[in-house]
Amino acid sequence: MNHDINVKKMRLNCFRQSKVPGEFMLQMRVPGGMVDAKYLSVIQHIAETWGDGNFHFGTRQTFDITGIKYENIPAVNEYLETYIREVDEELCEVDMNMVAHEPHPWDPKSGYPTIGARNISGCVGNYHCICGNINTFELARKLENIIFPSHYHIKINISGCPNDCNKAHLCDFGIIGVSKMTYHAERCIGCGACVRACEHGATRVLSLNEGIAKIDKDPCCCVGCGECVRACPTSAWTRGEKPLYRVILGGRTGRQTPRTGKMFLNWASEDVIVGVLKNWQKFSAWVMNYKPEYLHGGHLIDRAGYKKFKELILEGVELNPECMVAEDIFWHETEYRSNFNVKPIEMHHTAGPQA
Amino acid sequence: MGYTLNRQQADALLAALSKDYTVYAPKRFLNQGRYSATDVIRYAEVERFEDIVWQTKSDYPAKEVLTPIQQALFYFTEDEYRESKGPKKPILILARPCDINAQHIQAKIYAGNGGYTDLYYERVREMVKFAMMECCGGDDTCFCVSMGTNKTSDYSLAFKFSDDGVQVQVTDNAFASYFGDLPQTDYTPSFVEENELKVTVPDLSDKEVRKALKSHPMWQEFNSRCISCGACTVACSTCTCFTTRDVIYGDNPEVGERRRVTSSCQIAGFDQMAGQREFRSTAADRMRYKVLHKFHDYKARFGDSHMCVGCGRCTHRCPELISISATVNKVSAAVNEIKAGLAQK
Repeated sequence: MNHDINVKKMRLNCFRQSKVPGEFMLQMRVPGGMVDAKYLSVIQHIAETWGDGNFHFGTRQTFDITGIKYENIPAVNEYLETYIREVDEELCEVDMNMVAHEPHPWDPKSGYPTIGARNISGCVGNYHCICGNINTFELARKLENIIFPSHYHIKINISGCPNDCNKAHLCDFGIIGVSKMTYHAERCIGCGACVRACEHGATRVLSLNEGIAKIDKDPCCCVGCGECVRACPTSAWTRGEKPLYRVILGGRTGRQTPRTGKMFLNWASEDVIVGVLKNWQKFSAWVMNYKPEYLHGGHLIDRAGYKKFKELILEGVELNPECMVAEDIFWHETEYRSNFNVKPIEMHHTAGPQA
Repeated sequence: MGYTLNRQQADALLAALSKDYTVYAPKRFLNQGRYSATDVIRYAEVERFEDIVWQTKSDYPAKEVLTPIQQALFYFTEDEYRESKGPKKPILILARPCDINAQHIQAKIYAGNGGYTDLYYERVREMVKFAMMECCGGDDTCFCVSMGTNKTSDYSLAFKFSDDGVQVQVTDNAFASYFGDLPQTDYTPSFVEENELKVTVPDLSDKEVRKALKSHPMWQEFNSRCISCGACTVACSTCTCFTTRDVIYGDNPEVGERRRVTSSCQIAGFDQMAGQREFRSTAADRMRYKVLHKFHDYKARFGDSHMCVGCGRCTHRCPELISISATVNKVSAAVNEIKAGLAQK
C-alpha cells in the first residue's frame, strides 16, 4: 500500500507508528494510573470499532489501543473528546488551550495536542496499599496540569513509599512518598517490633536501648518508609502530620546510558514539588535553546550540568524547613561502550541559549 | 434528672466539669493510624464537645486512663526513694458500657487477686467516676451482648450524643449542680440489645476436654498467621499484664525511676524465666493461652464472668486480620469434635 503519512505529527498526536504501514497505536493518558472503571468500555469501544480488538497496558500506564488505521484517526480523535475532557480537563484541571504555558487553542475534535510530557505513572499508593505514605494519583492529577500539554519531555513516576514499586529511580523525575515519624516514648513498651521491621525491611536505623527499654534512632539514615509505624502494636510510632516527598532525579533506561536516578530532594513538601515542576518548562526551554526536540529530561540535566539545573529549577521555590537538597549528584551509568562520552568535540551537545 | 444540651451548652458543661475533674474521652488523633491517612482514636483529656468521638468505637480502650501504657512507680536517689504521685484531681471517664464493665474485671486482677491490692491502680480507681456514653451500636467486631457486658449501672452521668448536642441523665447528685437552672427533660439511656455478631463460648468445664484442646491442631494455623506483635492485648479492654523497668537517668546509676510498662503474653519472651526457659514458645501456644484465659481461665478463678467483654478491639487492631470471634467459633468446633471423640471411647 502506498502511504504518505507524517508519522512524527502522528506521534505528537499520541498515535504511535506500527510496523504495519498505515496502522497506529493510540496512547490514552491515565494520570497516576487510576481512573473510573467506566472508561474500560471506552477502551473496548475504540478497540472494537477502530482498532484490532486488542488492548495493551502501556508501560507508562497509558491505555494503548493497537491496530488503528490512519484513515480512522479523525473518528477516534473525535470520540476521544469526552475522555480527554473528563480525565484531563475536569479531573486534572488541565488547561487544554495552553502548550508549555503559552496560549495555543485546542481543537477538541483533534485528540491530544502533544505527547511531550509523558503520562505520570503511579503505584496504587495509600488509596489501597498498607505501605503507601501518599495518595499517588491525587498528586499525579495535581501535577498533570503543570507538565501537560507541553512539547518538552519529562517522565514522572510516583511511588507511594520508598519500596518504590513504581520505579521512581528509573525516570527523569521520580517522586516517592515519605513521612517523618514521631516517636511517642510514653506509648512504647519496648517490644522491639519496630527494630526488627526496620532491620528486615528498611535501613536498620532503630535499636533497642536496653538500659531504658526504649528505641534509639539514627535519623540521618531513615528512609521515611513507615515500616516502624506499621509494626508498632501501641501507636508509639506515628507518621508526621503532612506527607513529604523524596525526588529521585535523572534515572533512565535506554540504548545508550541507562542509569539509576539519584536523590535530588528529601523531605520536600508538596508545595516544593509543585514549585520545582513549574520551573521544568523554563529549564528545558533554556537548555534546548527554546526549541523542543525529542529528548528526555535526564539528558537535559546532563547537558546543563546538575548545578545549572539546580539553579534554574529551584528559582523562586521556597523550601520547607525539613527539605534537603543535593549539593551535587554523581550518577553512575551503565557503559554499554567504554568511554562512551569520549568523542570528537564537534559531536558534543550544547546547552543554553546559542548565538 | 435529665437534660438536653445543645453544642454550646455541652461545651459549657465540659468547661465546668473540667474545673473539678480531669475529663477523659475518646479523641481522634489525625493521621496517627497504622496506615497512612488513617486516624487513631484513643483516650485523652478533652476540653471541647467536638473533641469527643462518640460516633465510632475507640481503637484503644478506656483502661489507658487507669493503667497507662507507661507510668512511674517511684523515683530513687542513692538510698532514698519517693513514690510517684497519684492523680491530683478526680477523674471523669466517658466510656461505653463495655469499657465500664471491663474495669470491674481489671479491678479483680489489680485489687482482688492473691489478697493484694495494687496501690497504683487503687489510687486512680478510687478517683474515677464514669460518664456512660450510650453506645450507638458498635461495629461488626462487637459482641458485648454475647458476653453480657452491654449493660451497666455503674455511672454518675449518662450521655447520648448527637451532632446537635447531648442528652444527659444524672444519677449521682454530686453532678446535679453543674446543670443549674436548665430545664429538665426525660432521658433514660438505652443499651445495645443485639449485636450483628454472636459468640457462643464453648463449655470447657471438663478437664479431659481442656487437655485435648491444648494439643488440638486448630492452634497450628496461628504459627503462620499470628506475628506475635501484641496489638490485640494492648487494645484489649481487660488485659492487665505489665512488666517493670528500672530507668537510670543519664550516666549516674544512683538516680532513676522504676516504671510499670504494659506487656503482652503474645510477645515472644513474655514468659521467659531464669535459664531461658519458656512455657509458650510458639505463636500458636501464645494464642491458645490468651484465648483460653479470656474464655475460660479467668472465669474459673473469679467465677462471675468471662474476662472478655466482647469489645472487639483485638479483632479491630490485628494487622493480620485474626478475628477473636472466629477463633472462639473454631474452639467450639474443636471442643465438639473432642467431646464426640471422648464419647466414643
